[in-house]
Amino acid sequence: MTKIKRRTFVGLAAATTTALSMPSIAFGALPRVVVIGGGAGGATAAKYIAKDSKGAIDVTLVEASKRYYTCFFSNLYLGDFRAYSSIGHNYYGLAVNHGVNMVHEWALSVNNAAKKVNLGSGESISYDKLVISPGIDLKFESVNGYSAEAQSKMPHAWKSGTQVQLLKNQVKGMKKGGTFVMVPPPNPYRCPPGPYERVSMIAHQFKKSNPTAKIVILDPKNKFSKQGLFMEGWQKHYPGMIEWISAETHGGIKKINAETMEFETDLDTFKADAASVVPAQRAGRIAMNAGVNKGDWCPIVPGSMQAQADENIYVLGDASIAKSMPKSGFSANSQAKVAANHIRGSLTGSKVFTPRFANTCWSLVATNDGIKVGANYKATAEKIDKTSGFISKTGEDSNLRKATYEESIGWYSGITSDMFS
Amino acid sequence: MKSKLVLLSIVFSLIFTNSIFADQKHLVGADADYGEHLFGECVTCHNSTGLGQGIPKITGMKTNQFITKILAYKSKEKENAVMQMVAERLGEEEINSLALYLSKLK
Ligand SMILES: Cc1cc2nc3c(=O)[nH]c(=O)nc-3n(C[C@H](O)[C@H](O)[C@H](O)COP(=O)(O)OP(=O)(O)OC[C@H]3O[C@@H](n4cnc5c(N)ncnc54)[C@H](O)[C@@H]3O)c2cc1C
Repeated sequence: MTKIKRRTFVGLAAATTTALSMPSIAFGALPRVVVIGGGAGGATAAKYIAKDSKGAIDVTLVEASKRYYTCFFSNLYLGDFRAYSSIGHNYYGLAVNHGVNMVHEWALSVNNAAKKVNLGSGESISYDKLVISPGIDLKFESVNGYSAEAQSKMPHAWKSGTQVQLLKNQVKGMKKGGTFVMVPPPNPYRCPPGPYERVSMIAHQFKKSNPTAKIVILDPKNKFSKQGLFMEGWQKHYPGMIEWISAETHGGIKKINAETMEFETDLDTFKADAASVVPAQRAGRIAMNAGVNKGDWCPIVPGSMQAQADENIYVLGDASIAKSMPKSGFSANSQAKVAANHIRGSLTGSKVFTPRFANTCWSLVATNDGIKVGANYKATAEKIDKTSGFISKTGEDSNLRKATYEESIGWYSGITSDMFS
Repeated sequence: MKSKLVLLSIVFSLIFTNSIFADQKHLVGADADYGEHLFGECVTCHNSTGLGQGIPKITGMKTNQFITKILAYKSKEKENAVMQMVAERLGEEEINSLALYLSKLK
């Protein structure tokens, strides 16, 4: 390590103890940014505000967990392409390299008028600008019969962590020739291709160790992301194993029973030996507490990611309505950089550049068979508008698919280092 | 006819690039702050510290090499859907600002 700034030490100390003991006097009159949520949006925002302001802004990141397990590549863990430990990350880099003050606690509520965040410990932190990137909460009740209790029998595994490990154990332990039922969520939800990549990775497991197993997808939708590409890949790599049943065909999931593992639809009652149910979603609760939501999600100003309801609050990632961007880690990271630039500009007078947004989502269908979809976006008065885009093609050359998979590995290493180091 | 013109303009821009941009003083409209900001878009994928597995490392790239590559993606002469999309919306000012910033990185 070359130069260690005073602020770096503050950050480090804060990361290793729980942070609130930090002397507020040490910060003098520096403008203060608090970020809630250390995921794809929040970790990136905290880093860029701290890094680019070079000590001129005091940045505190409030994140409940000490270790962040990415949802991205959690499907690859299901398919044995990644070790669980390889998708876990800590916050030391943010503290040590950029002087971000880490507070590992739950943010319970926001006092917009006093510009304060109230923490689980009972203490509060003041802010000049607040960034909220809490990800999603699950609407368990959106699937009749699903609940917080049912999640251990039919894991959603949509917030990563132990749910993904549980799901993997259940997939591996499923009886020979059994049926796995996947219920994807209705729109809008985090990671549009995610449920179908998950099915691909579970099929990959079954092909190795349980080749007569079946997978039934009971979809609440009539079409899905990268559909043609996934369907082609399933036919090629897992012929006869996967059946996708659209809402139109099954007529709606009327009720599920986690005890009997039954899924009742108009078409039939399906009995599962293992299952994953991903219910509908909404912005993380703290966004509701801060009053920046309208219904389930938070409207933003497209050019800055400021909440429409409060100009001192920015909402990033899955929690925001960032139409036409999909809810992805890549999108959240891109939005965070726009917000960071805007926040710095308003607190220190630094240059604010025209916002540029981008997204690319890679998915793995089978060994060395990667596909991708991506787009550029720009802010208009009403929305974040797509300006151009691409998608992998069906029938592509296998070398290109392999290169696409390898590219996704590069992206994972890139984005996680961009977030955490 | 149109494609020939495009090709011609690419050839010209490449020659132009190699001779003139070699000297950083001639990076028209370049602004290192803007370059640093734009670089944020690159490092979502191009690991700034790692080995460049799957996606090549771009830190330490020579100015000429960088500009030539970006122009080749922009003209779709070089394949890669993501990079073609990235290059598509980079104008001269953006490319030169990135080149200037990259040249200042160790
Ligand atoms: C199976 C799956 C696969 C995916 N694959 C991809 C992919 O390949 N590419 C891609 O780009 N995206 C992918 N995604 C989507 C991606 O994970 C999300 O879009 C992204 O994480 C959103 O970032 P975020 O900042 O909004 O939320 P998150 O990353 O979820 O971060 C939110 C953080 O906030 C914390 N938090 C929440 N509330 C509080 C509070 N009150 N106090 C303190 N801390 C709080 C949480 O602990 C969490 O760490 C995938 C998702 C899934 C489920």
